[in-house]
Amino acid sequence: MSTLALLLTQVVNALSQSALLFFLGVGLTLIFGIMRIVNFAHGALYMLGAFVGYSLAHWAGTFWLALVLAPLIVGAVGAAFELGILRRLYRRDASAFLLVTFGLALVVTEAVRLIWGPDALQVPAPKLFSGVVFLLGEPFPAYRLFLVAAGAVMAIAIWQALERTRLGLLIRATSQNAEMVHALGIDVNLVRSGVFGIGCGLAALGGVLAAPLVTASHAMASTVIIDAFVIVIIGGMGSFAGSLIGALLVGFVQVFGNYYLPDFALAFMYLLMLLVLVVRPGGLLGKEA
Amino acid sequence: MRWPRALGLAFVALLIAAPFGLPAFAMTLLTELVILGLFAMSLDLMVGYTRLISFGHVAAYGLGAYASGYMLLNTSLPLPFVVILATLLTGVIAIGVGWVCTLATGVSFAMLTLAFAQLLYAIAFKWTSVTGGSDGLAGIPRRAGPMGLTLLTTKTGFYYFALACLIGSFLLCRKLVASPFGAVLRGIRENEAKTVSLGFNTRLYKIAVVAIAYALGGLAGALYAPFAGFANTELLFWLLSGQVLIMVIVGGSGTLIGPILGAAFFLLLEHQLSSVTEAWALFFGLIFIGFVLFAPEGIWGLATGWVKRREKPLAKVRLRD
Amino acid sequence: MTDAGAALIGIAGLTRRYGALVAVDNVSMDVGAGEIRAVIGPNGAGKTTLFHLITGVVKPTAGHVRFAGEDITGLPAHAICQRGLSRTFQLTALFPQMSARENATLAAQARNPRRWLPFGGGNVFTQARRAGGAALELLGLAGVADRPAGLLSHGDQRLLEVAMAVAQEPTVLLLDEPTQGLSVEETAQVVETLSRFLEQSHVTALLVEHDMEVVFRLAHKITVLHRGAVIADGTPEAVKADARVQEAYLGGIE
Repeated sequence: MSTLALLLTQVVNALSQSALLFFLGVGLTLIFGIMRIVNFAHGALYMLGAFVGYSLAHWAGTFWLALVLAPLIVGAVGAAFELGILRRLYRRDASAFLLVTFGLALVVTEAVRLIWGPDALQVPAPKLFSGVVFLLGEPFPAYRLFLVAAGAVMAIAIWQALERTRLGLLIRATSQNAEMVHALGIDVNLVRSGVFGIGCGLAALGGVLAAPLVTASHAMASTVIIDAFVIVIIGGMGSFAGSLIGALLVGFVQVFGNYYLPDFALAFMYLLMLLVLVVRPGGLLGKEA
Repeated sequence: MRWPRALGLAFVALLIAAPFGLPAFAMTLLTELVILGLFAMSLDLMVGYTRLISFGHVAAYGLGAYASGYMLLNTSLPLPFVVILATLLTGVIAIGVGWVCTLATGVSFAMLTLAFAQLLYAIAFKWTSVTGGSDGLAGIPRRAGPMGLTLLTTKTGFYYFALACLIGSFLLCRKLVASPFGAVLRGIRENEAKTVSLGFNTRLYKIAVVAIAYALGGLAGALYAPFAGFANTELLFWLLSGQVLIMVIVGGSGTLIGPILGAAFFLLLEHQLSSVTEAWALFFGLIFIGFVLFAPEGIWGLATGWVKRREKPLAKVRLRD
Repeated sequence: MTDAGAALIGIAGLTRRYGALVAVDNVSMDVGAGEIRAVIGPNGAGKTTLFHLITGVVKPTAGHVRFAGEDITGLPAHAICQRGLSRTFQLTALFPQMSARENATLAAQARNPRRWLPFGGGNVFTQARRAGGAALELLGLAGVADRPAGLLSHGDQRLLEVAMAVAQEPTVLLLDEPTQGLSVEETAQVVETLSRFLEQSHVTALLVEHDMEVVFRLAHKITVLHRGAVIADGTPEAVKADARVQEAYLGGIE
């Protein structure tokens, strides 16, 4: 394999990894930006998305239905959690959210183990993208290219939604001054439930998309929650662009680290985070220190 | 309020008498409880007294366990020395961990502690020559004490050793939180910016409390390895960090006693529920959420609150007399 | 800066920029020992930022702060406090769940060289409790000393902050808008207590205020800030008569 082809494959690999990480990070940062809540259950919901996706894909016989429905179902779970539990805690200090979402992570992880059993499950890639594409004469899984495209489309869609739509305006306004929005006669509680649901749905979308690549397993939740936090800490809590930059940095560090120095790949990611925290404690695009 | 001391002493007396009345399997459970209680209590110094929430306290446990396991397998040092050395080693490493983690605050602090624990988890897998890789260290002996003291090799002897470590650590922690140092920790818990502006270099205090908490967590791990006879990557798995955090909150944070009760509650529930249903961890998660929502003061807080409410009317009656 | 040698606090060319905004613009001033100096100015004039710069909460973009002949520019906040500058905050900063006495005791503990003792500490506590209790007494808080700080009235909370600073027996007391957010009656009560205390103690004090009545009641000398820069400096009478000050306060200056 030529050096150039190898490099290109690695870059596309890294981009597809970044796309998955972006779905995770953007949901987490959205929830934090608007609700000031750090959702520790994010990784568990990502995993739930993968398993629900598995069942839906088997039931309907098509991956595409799972891709649409699983995020909606997990999003509804998230919204219900906000309604039933988080809402009672808005007057308490931030550690209560950390603890209660951690509890949710445990409950979801255990529930998945009970429902789907302890083994990892294989989710087949959609037929359209199950083949290989030739890049500079080297075969490359088409599904990874699809992931890159999906990530790019979603990044643009979310950005446009935040900038252009009324809902986006509402979300940005709530993140800056919830009381003011409330005074304008808008139901802030509804915005919060919605945002928590959307954030969880985005995590689930990442989970469904990741499933054909890594199989749906229980280890997903723990590895992925750390990745997600690293991304958000690097990019800056609550910053949309920050989550994109964070996802790209972490994706590239993971893929290239795994290829060239597999023993130290994990350490690289933490070193990157450490470096950012030392230089800019609030993250690259974060506002608060 | 003389009764807490009397109650405490009675409780300690019961723990000391336990080997004479309890069957062997119950003693195993009790020994594990003592070790886990020590582990949870060490985290309380950070979570309860300083409001430094850690998601990676297994780092301390695992470090202590691997260090003591390695020394027991590869040197001829007697058990108490090994345990002390493993505790000190964990504490020294924790100074570096604390230095790095306290660069951040709040959630970032919690994530950095988790990141460090995950890093150790990865190292435990890769550094096979020292850690045994995915098999871990097995066949860790409970070696005799200095001068051929064989007491520690027996199950009962080891139980007393662990109990002494717990009681000693408890007394040490109680001294610590009641000292000027402890008063500064309370200040950091309630308003760190103000504590800085009063002239306290809070970062140094935080690094110190991380080091002490990790050292005591390391002590618990150092006891666990010879108790179980093995040390493997399970001891560094992130879920255990979560479980110990739950023990602290459910038991009652900022009380030292509470987390020990939390550990007991956790172990007994696991013991009782796991034989009945596979879903015990699910129930435990739900119970945890319930405590955060409705009883953030924990079991110990509920109990002492109940006693206080009962005492108040009595006090009034006495006043009238 | 002609008498820089005699000044307790010497500020020279102090500047802080936030992007294009210059919050504090080339401020120079000297405060002599025993002086009570007020820094006044309309909202957004940079008074609080100036305090943050002096006490090390914010690092200056340019300029120097000297205290008792030593350059303290850019030192961390805790180190500056340890040199004898104790401050209060514009938005009350207390330990809400501790009693007023515990608040004052912790403040006093900060000045004990053995404040970090991880065991025992009976002497540290006795000493701190004595200093803290005396400070509470001085500011008329002895009656509420055992109440949780978070449950005190707003006026008492402001006074408690001052008491905490006083408990540290500081060389310089820095008060950031001690009457901020108080009702008229509460303001009168706090000013009354403060002026009695300042007269008795002969401490050097630097005071940020926008309530002119409070300032004229308490200060010996006044420095007026407008848009980050000093526009007047002198006795209360001189400042009152200054045309630029009147304009700034009436909103005329552009």
